[in-house]
Amino acid sequence: MKREILAYRRPDGSVGVRNYVLILPIDDISNAVAEAVEKVVNGTLAIPHPYGRLQFGKDLELFFKTLIGTGLNPNVAAVVVIGVEPKWTCKVAEEIAKSGKWVEAFWVEGFGQLRTIERAARTAVKFVEDATNLKRETVDLSELIVSLKCGESDTTSGLGANRVVGRFTERFLEMGGTVLFGETTELTGAEHILIQRIKSEQERQKFIRMFDEYQQLVKSQGVDLLGSQPTQGNIAGGLSTIEEKALGNLQKIGNAMVDGVLEPAERPPAKGLYFMNTSSAAAEAVTLFAAAGAAIHLFPTGQGNPIGNPIVPVIKITANPKTAQSMSEHIDVDVSDLLRLKISLDEATERLFSRVVETACGRFVKAEILNHREFVPTKLYPSA
Amino acid sequence: MVDFLVHRDGDHVGVAVRDIKKNEHVSGKTVDGQFSYELDAVQDIPLGHKIALRDIQKGEKIIEYGEIIGVATDNIAKGAHVHVHNIRSLRWG
Repeated sequence: MKREILAYRRPDGSVGVRNYVLILPIDDISNAVAEAVEKVVNGTLAIPHPYGRLQFGKDLELFFKTLIGTGLNPNVAAVVVIGVEPKWTCKVAEEIAKSGKWVEAFWVEGFGQLRTIERAARTAVKFVEDATNLKRETVDLSELIVSLKCGESDTTSGLGANRVVGRFTERFLEMGGTVLFGETTELTGAEHILIQRIKSEQERQKFIRMFDEYQQLVKSQGVDLLGSQPTQGNIAGGLSTIEEKALGNLQKIGNAMVDGVLEPAERPPAKGLYFMNTSSAAAEAVTLFAAAGAAIHLFPTGQGNPIGNPIVPVIKITANPKTAQSMSEHIDVDVSDLLRLKISLDEATERLFSRVVETACGRFVKAEILNHREFVPTKLYPSA
Repeated sequence: MVDFLVHRDGDHVGVAVRDIKKNEHVSGKTVDGQFSYELDAVQDIPLGHKIALRDIQKGEKIIEYGEIIGVATDNIAKGAHVHVHNIRSLRWG
């Protein structure tokens, strides 16, 4: 199995597979400037979002962590930070700058929109020149952080695509790689299995606390999640209960043991397999994994979910032969042969491995080709 | 070629890997290929949907992956379609 890839080594030592010059708005009212800079400077990427005003407490902390983490992601070469006022804008830029990455901050107050666009665009031009002059170098695949999240799951996920990702995860961890997974509520019915897989008692207790908090949150709303869990897509695909969905979900980590438990957007402290407390909504979870440093995301799907991320290639894997045909422009790795035992789990895993290596070396995934750039920071509660 | 797969030997249900028609005689295996099963489908089972591998009584816990996935809300005959109409979660709903 090929392990060497051609990738970008960042000043902080992390390894990325893409080379974005990011235009990062700090708040909703700076999206217009960010998008204008993206239009006039070829080779830049703006990631507009609806948040950043009057957030407070834990919600504000997570928001900053998400923006800073996105700037720090190894797939990003340089960042132009744009906000309405200097304080928060500079705070985010300074945190990103600590990694040695090229970053500059601009704010609209005192300059107006048009002057801010020009100033930011001039810096962006310089960043694109420098970023496009960076060379990919040979590194080991295991230096990457890979994240896992499935979506529009059906029973073929638990039988096929998730098992392939599980076998990949076992192999990648043996190579010394780092893997992130999450989806706290979608483990309901399989949490007892995950708890046994967590290596230390301290981390186990951390997971139990996160899991219980999520269950309490659901209960506090006076509803159960029946109707949204499993989703209508899940049910159409044959999934009957949250327990069945959760057991299929957990196939993604194979038989691997879990090294630690992370807060949302928290970077893994070492190599290994980490659970992160995330929503089960695809774009929210992938955004949090990206903010924690994931360079590639593996996304098994049953019925076909088109999700992508602005800075992380999202590789779609399906074992559903109907989806592989009807949603072919979304599917990167078709392992439907596994379903009728025409190929072995190892053969299917090898297909995924080669695609991960190719993607790491620069091959676009379908979500990138189809312009899927879902950047969705997790909001914990309403703003002030 | 198999018509359905079973996660673990001893599971009460298998998963159709092609659209199965009522009265078809179908065969399946565990995902590791170790155990084989044969039975008659008594209902249509669409791809990805579950087929009962034995008679299941109302109120009985249903096992898949060697784990509980819910409880039968009706008597389910061997070869019948197992889904939201005759199984419910023990956790939510």
